[in-house]
Amino acid sequence: MFDEKIYRRFNHTVAACFVIYFLFPQKIMGLERIYLVILLWIIILGIEYLRLNKNLNLFGMRDYESDRVAGFVWFASGTFIILGFYEMGAFPQSLAVATIIMAAYTDPVIGEVNHKLGDRWGLGIGFVCSFAIYQLIVGVIFYSVLGGLIAVLVERPKLKWFDDDLAMQILPISILSILWLSGIGPDLPETIIGSGL
Amino acid sequence: MKIKEFYIYVMYLVVIITSMLFIVKDYYIIGSLLILGNLVPGYAMANSLMGNNEN
Repeated sequence: MFDEKIYRRFNHTVAACFVIYFLFPQKIMGLERIYLVILLWIIILGIEYLRLNKNLNLFGMRDYESDRVAGFVWFASGTFIILGFYEMGAFPQSLAVATIIMAAYTDPVIGEVNHKLGDRWGLGIGFVCSFAIYQLIVGVIFYSVLGGLIAVLVERPKLKWFDDDLAMQILPISILSILWLSGIGPDLPETIIGSGL
Repeated sequence: MKIKEFYIYVMYLVVIITSMLFIVKDYYIIGSLLILGNLVPGYAMANSLMGNNEN
């Protein structure tokens, strides 16, 4: 039996690959690409329904997830909400890409550091990680600092019906997008990836 | 091959293909981030997988 914790961490970081969506052409087989996301969401919800009803045994689940919605569903939901709002023009692409990658990496980093060095280090290194990702992708210090701070702060509370995997995506991107759209925040590169596949 | 192991190999494939696509399209920062972010957990997963196979 291989290590479940490593398996969970790897699953989490691989989720950053959802950003491949932005390379997809606008239409796939005549259908808008967002329908692909909706289809994937339905499949994930179906798997989770089977798991919660004990018809499916998934490897790598935590004990407390036996009777509550699992982390992968929260994460996928957060990502798909971001993609949906991006398609509606509510979120700029640069923030969407940065937030998905940031959430995929920062949560496991905080978890590992909390475990090995303690909570304060987890908070600090989590902030550095999310700041660096926002800065590398968006490149505006204002959004990088704020996005990093929001991400680590919303990771803290452990609520049954609002998981950090969802909160770490939805809250930073919503706040940053509101600041950008309202003109309070500085300008940012709106589109960084042109669909190219 | 067990389904779990197959799924893990698919994850490796997803990371490699996605990062390569971004790099080929000149999105070097995103491609590199995808590789770097998955390097440590991917390496740890490979070690765990090899230990599992030896057992």
